This record gives sequence, C-alpha cells and structure tokens, in this order.
Amino acid sequence: MPDDLAIRIEDLSIKYKINVDTKRTLKNALMRASKGERVRMRTVEAVKHLTLDVPHGSVLGIVGANGAGKSTLMRSIAGILPPTEGRIIVNGKISTLLALGVGFNPALSGRDNIILGGLASGMSRAEIEAKTDEIAAFADLPDGFIDMPVRTYSSGMYGRVAFSVAVNMTPDILLLDEALSAGDASFKEKSFTRMRELCNEARTIVIVSHALATISELCDTAIWMHKGTMLAKGKPEEIVDQYLKFLDVGTLPSNFEDM
Amino acid sequence: MAAKDSSATPGFAPRIQVFEPHRASLPPLIPYFKEFWRRRVFASELAKFTDKAEYLDSKLGKVWLVLNPLLLAMVYYLLVTVLKGGKQHNGITTLAHILIGLFTFYFAQTCITSGAQSITSGGRLILNQAFPRALLPFSSSISAFQQFLPTIPVYIFVIVVGKFFYPSTQVPGFTWAFIWVPLVVALVGITGFGLSLLFATMNVYFRDTNKILQYFMRIWLYLSPILWQPEMFHGWHRAVIYLNPLGPTLSATSHIWINGQAPTLAEILGMFGWAFASIVFGGYFFISRERDFAVRI
Repeated sequence: MPDDLAIRIEDLSIKYKINVDTKRTLKNALMRASKGERVRMRTVEAVKHLTLDVPHGSVLGIVGANGAGKSTLMRSIAGILPPTEGRIIVNGKISTLLALGVGFNPALSGRDNIILGGLASGMSRAEIEAKTDEIAAFADLPDGFIDMPVRTYSSGMYGRVAFSVAVNMTPDILLLDEALSAGDASFKEKSFTRMRELCNEARTIVIVSHALATISELCDTAIWMHKGTMLAKGKPEEIVDQYLKFLDVGTLPSNFEDM
Repeated sequence: MAAKDSSATPGFAPRIQVFEPHRASLPPLIPYFKEFWRRRVFASELAKFTDKAEYLDSKLGKVWLVLNPLLLAMVYYLLVTVLKGGKQHNGITTLAHILIGLFTFYFAQTCITSGAQSITSGGRLILNQAFPRALLPFSSSISAFQQFLPTIPVYIFVIVVGKFFYPSTQVPGFTWAFIWVPLVVALVGITGFGLSLLFATMNVYFRDTNKILQYFMRIWLYLSPILWQPEMFHGWHRAVIYLNPLGPTLSATSHIWINGQAPTLAEILGMFGWAFASIVFGGYFFISRERDFAVRI
C-alpha cells in the first residue's frame, strides 16, 4: 500500500445475519424447534463491493440515508466487524466514537470510565493516566462532575466526555459516527477547532453525519452511500447537493441509475 | 506523516493493520492471543473497577461475599445433619467439607454467571472498540478469583475454632498435600473461564440463558460432591463424579483440605481433562462467533 494512504478499502463487502424474532430466548427457540419451525434469519448486505482510498491528513465525510451501510463501514474500518469479502488496510492508530458514550459502568465516575476506555484501546495504565487530565479539561464538565458517577450526567455531558476521549487519544485515524450532535454550540466550535488541529498534524478523520453543514464545513472529500454501495465521491458541497436533491425528489439522479 | 509524535509507543496496536475475511469464521489466532495478552491489564483493571462500582456504597458489601456462602453452608449443614438424623460424631468435619466445597464451587459459579453477562452488558464497549472480546469474560473470572481468595482464611478460621470446641473434628495439620492447592484453584478458574465463554456466547443469542443458568447452577451444585461425600459412590458409580466438570476438582479439594491427602491420579487426570475441554470448546465456541457480537447486541 502506498505510504501516503491512511485507509485502503479493496472491494469490500459485509454481510451479517440477524435474527428477526421478536423474542430471542432459548425458550422461544425450543418452542419453535418443537413445532419444526426454523429460526427466522435475515441476511443483511450492509456494504457491497466498495473500493476507496483515504490519504493521510484528509477528512472524509460520509452521507446517506438510514440503512445505507455507513455505520457498518465505519465499524469494519475500526476492525470491529471483519469483512465478508475484500480487504481493508489501515495504517495508523485508530480512535473511534461509533456508539455514543465511553460506555462502561454508569456507577463509575467519568474519570474511571476514561481510564477503562484507554486501557481497552490498548494503552498502558501510565499512558492513559497521563492523558486523563487533558481529556477531563477538554470535556470541561461543570464543577466536579468528572469525578461523579456517569449516571448523573446529562446526555450532553456524556457526549462531551466521549468525544473528548476520542480526539485526545492522539489517533492517526479518527472515526466519528454522529458524534458531533451531542454538545452545545460552544463545545461544537471547540470540537471543530480540535479536529482541524488533528488534520494539520496529518491525521485522518472519517465522519458520518446527517448534519450536512458539518460535512461541507469540515471535510475535503465526501462520499454518498446508498443501500450499501458508493453512489458518488467528490467535493463535499457537490455531494451534499446531490444528496439533498435526492432527498427532495426521492429518486436517484439518472446518471446513477446503472450503479 | 511528519507529525508522528511520541504516542507511537510499543504499547499501541501495530502500525499497519489488515482486516480480511475470517477463515472458517475464526480470526487469525496468533494475533488474537497476542492482543489478548497485551491487554490483560485492561481485564484486571476492569475487574477492579467493576468491583469498586458494585461495592461503592456499602462497606459491608464485600463482607457479604464471604458471609453469603458461609451462611448458606450453615443452612446446608443443618439440613444434612437433620436428614442424617441428629448429631454427627466427627465434630464439624461435615461442615468443613461443605464449606470448602461450597467456596470452591462458588468460585466457578461466579466465573460462569458473571462471565455469561459480560458480553451482553458490555454493549457500548463492544460497539465502539476492537479488542479480543474474550477479555470481558476473563475480567469476570479475575473478579471471581479475587472474591474467592478471602474465603480461604475464613475457612481456616472456622476450622480452627471448630477444632477448639469439637476436638473430634478431623483436621489434617500441615502436610505436603497443600502444595496441590494452587494448581487445583487454577484448574477451577480455567474450567470456570472456559464455561463462561460458552454461556457468554449463548447469552448473546438467547437472552434468557442467564435465567436458566441460575437453575442449572443450583442443580449442578446438588450433583457435585459438596453436600455428599465423594466416597459415597463406589465402582462404576463413581462416574457421577467424573462426568461432572467440577467433580474431580471438588473431590480433590475435599481430600486435600479434610484428609490432608494429595489428589489421586484419576482426580488429577479428571481435573486437567475438564479444564482443557472447557477452555478449548468454550474458546472455540466464543471466538468463532465473536464477529457476530457487534451486530447482535
């Protein structure tokens, strides 16, 4: 892979099976089996034959309707969901904010959760402890909240901590899935500044967002995903325009029909 | 790439990672185990933090961990004595057997029941980060071990006091047999961890596994040589002990702690066999379905 690439995605397809039963219980499964019924499974083809290169120091935005495969794509770049076909090569340390929340134990303090998050991402205890104050300062919670149980946090505060952890891990590649919707206006401004800093340091950012203004403002490339395939790739303003037209009219632009 | 700062320390994941389809639904195993080992601190810290969260409010909380099996042992002891029709003539030897068996069983039980929940309750963490998922049940096993440790001094205390009041109590004194204790405990832990991998996976697919597990563990307890002596069975009936994943271990535990005897060859083989079988089968079941966890939670 060329040195200047942060992420290379080669003919990526991702499928997974989901159980469509309402009650996923052993009891239910046994009842079904006794009636000779099979478990109702559905295969989701979340990403279909996607090829994409992301150079170092770039910001890629991904737009698309719900169910387009955006989150699945992000998860597979993070290594959480391995490909069914194809290959992903990632050059650099990844930091993710895919499901909102640092997400450990609501009974533990924000600080403890930050430490656990760092350890899970593979940092040593000393490394994450050295960063904790910086992360706490960036999240800038009202007095003393950082040492209080996470269950006492408002959703905005929760989002702030999660975002702060993700951007302060000095990632080479930062993956953000709808992560910018949590904070208030001033925190959003701060987040943008921090993300621009990361870019200037030649770090790479991939953003999934339904806030199209964010995509236009932050990204230098954007892709539009639709039902698992990449419909278009280009300048963010153009992609956002095309996507908005599609949302308005509800049909795909004629030049995409054959895709 | 000019701005690579010092963060590229050896502690981080490899610079270039390649994600490819899994062969036979298993991830590449050597990197998996390497990552598992590298992040073991995460598992032990998670155990520490989880315990902290659990007993944050009550100082008595941790005492309950010991008190609970102790009281339960008393209840079982009364039950057994009543069923046998009155007074035992060996002091509190029966109580000692029930106690050490119950403490050991509880160690395995905690590994299994809390490990079984670790994946479904680790939702956010699993959706957000890539790491060997087996670290979560492993963390539960570490926590179970930490809860098991203080029960040993409690056992010794009860026996010493018991011997003082009932001189006929059978106490082994210091014998070489006790050097087997760490091995036996380790094998209980491995068996428990292996089975917790199995149940943690099942719990992802069937959310009522945990409820069923409670009854399962209760029945398992009664089938184990805790409330009854392993010597009750002779000849081929002894299979009852060896068909039980914890049977050989519990039998060996009783022999060491009550009689001061080293485990028999059959017990040693049984212990190793079950530990190996649990970790291999549970591990395969878990790791081969790990990819599914992120889409099923």
